Amino acid sequence: MASQTRERCMTGIEGLDYILNGGIPRGNTVLITGSCGTGKTTLSLEFLVHGALWGERSMYISVTEAPEKLVENMIIYEFFDRKLITEKKMILVDLQEIYVKLGLEKLEFTLEDVNVLVSQIVKMVKELDVKRLVIDSITSICYRLTSKEQIREFILHLGKELSDLGCTTFLVSELLPSAQGYSQYGVEEAIADGIILLGNMERRGDLLRTLQVIKMRGTTHSRAKYVLDLTSIGVLLAPLLKGGSVEVR
Amino acid sequence: MAVTTKIVEKMDELPPASSLALYVDVNSYFDSLRALVDIFATKNDLYVFYISSTIPSRNIVGIFELLGIDTARVFFVDTISHLMPVEKEMSDKFLYIESPTMLENVMLKVEYLLRKYRNKKTLVILDSVNSMAIHNDLKILSEFLHIFVTTLRSWEAYMVILSLQEQTTPEIRNMLNFVTDDSLEVGGVSQ
Repeated sequence: MASQTRERCMTGIEGLDYILNGGIPRGNTVLITGSCGTGKTTLSLEFLVHGALWGERSMYISVTEAPEKLVENMIIYEFFDRKLITEKKMILVDLQEIYVKLGLEKLEFTLEDVNVLVSQIVKMVKELDVKRLVIDSITSICYRLTSKEQIREFILHLGKELSDLGCTTFLVSELLPSAQGYSQYGVEEAIADGIILLGNMERRGDLLRTLQVIKMRGTTHSRAKYVLDLTSIGVLLAPLLKGGSVEVR
Repeated sequence: MAVTTKIVEKMDELPPASSLALYVDVNSYFDSLRALVDIFATKNDLYVFYISSTIPSRNIVGIFELLGIDTARVFFVDTISHLMPVEKEMSDKFLYIESPTMLENVMLKVEYLLRKYRNKKTLVILDSVNSMAIHNDLKILSEFLHIFVTTLRSWEAYMVILSLQEQTTPEIRNMLNFVTDDSLEVGGVSQ
C-alpha cells in the first residue's frame, strides 16, 4: 500500500522544519505556547514572512501589538522586505478594529458573538486567499469567553473552517510561568492539531530559551527539546545538551 | 621543523570537513595561531570563526595585530568577556555569549556565522578545550564536542580544537581522540 503523506507547509525555520520532517501538515491549527519572552511572536512572524516571500499570502491578527510596532519588530530580519506589507502579501490586522466593526466591544462574549467572530476571520481568510494565519494571542480572545465549552467551540469551529480553506494557523497562547499543561484554559491544547512549546530552562544559573514540539498531527516528529536563538537571520535551533537542566518556563 | 610549517603541512593533508586536536605548549601558542589564522586560512581563502574561551576576543585581536595577522576575515564567538568588566563591541565580528557554560549558544552563534557567510569556506577554531573544561563537566563537554564537530562536518568546515599540553589531562585527551579525526602535537613532549 502506498504511503500517503500530507502536503507540508514549511515554516522556513530550517531547524523546525527538520524537527517536523519537512514542515507542518498544511491546514493544521498549531498552538504556539509559552510564557512571556520565550519567542512566540518572533517565531510566528518569521513563519509568516517566509510564507509571504514564497507567495503564500499571510495574515497576522494582533490583539496586543499595533501593526506599526510589528513592522518595527520585523525589520531586524535580513530577509524581511517592507514591500511584503505594501503589496499586501503580508497583512497585519488589529483585532480591536474587528471588534469595533462587529460591535463586539464587550468584556464577555456569547456563543453567538463567538460565531460572528469566527465567521469574520474565516471571511477575511477566504476573500484574501490567506494561506498562513497567526492569531496573537488566542488567550486574550478566550478571556472573553465564559466557559470551557465556548472556548472549545470557538477553536474547533475556527480550526475546521481554516483547515478546509487550506490555511495553516498559529494560535499564540500565553502561559503563566507557574502554569501546568500547555495552555491557559486547558482546552486549547486538546483541540489544536499541534503544540509547539517555548520555554526557559535554567542550567547552573544560565537561562536558555527552549523549543519542543509536543504534538503535531499528520507527521512524525522529534519530541526532543532544542535551544533556540533569535537572530537577524531568523530563529536558529540546536539540540539541548543533557546536563541536569531545571525547567523554569 | 618549525611549528608553523608542521601545522600547515598537517592541515594541508586534511580534507575539508576534518577536525584536528592540536596540542600545543605555551611557547608554541602564538606560532600555532599564526599557522592557522594567517598562513593556512589565507592560503585557502577561508573565513575563520574563532571561539575564545581563554582570552577575551579584543585581546586576541591585539595579539594578531602585534603578530601582523590580518583579522578582516576573522569572526569571534567570545564566551569569556561577559564574565569580565571589559568593553564590548557588538557586531557580527564579535558575538558574545554570557558564559562558557552556555555550550548550545556556542553552537548557535557559530551556526549563525556559517549561515550568514554560507558561500565562504571556513575554519572553526576552539581556543581552548582546557578553559572550556574549567567551566564545564567533561560529560557535557564531550556531548557538546561530539554534536558540534558532526555539525561542522556537514557544513564542510575545518575544525581545530586547541589544547594546551600542560593542561591536558588523560580524560581530555581521550575525549579529543573520540571526537576528532586526527591530532597533532607541537612543541613540548609528544605523548
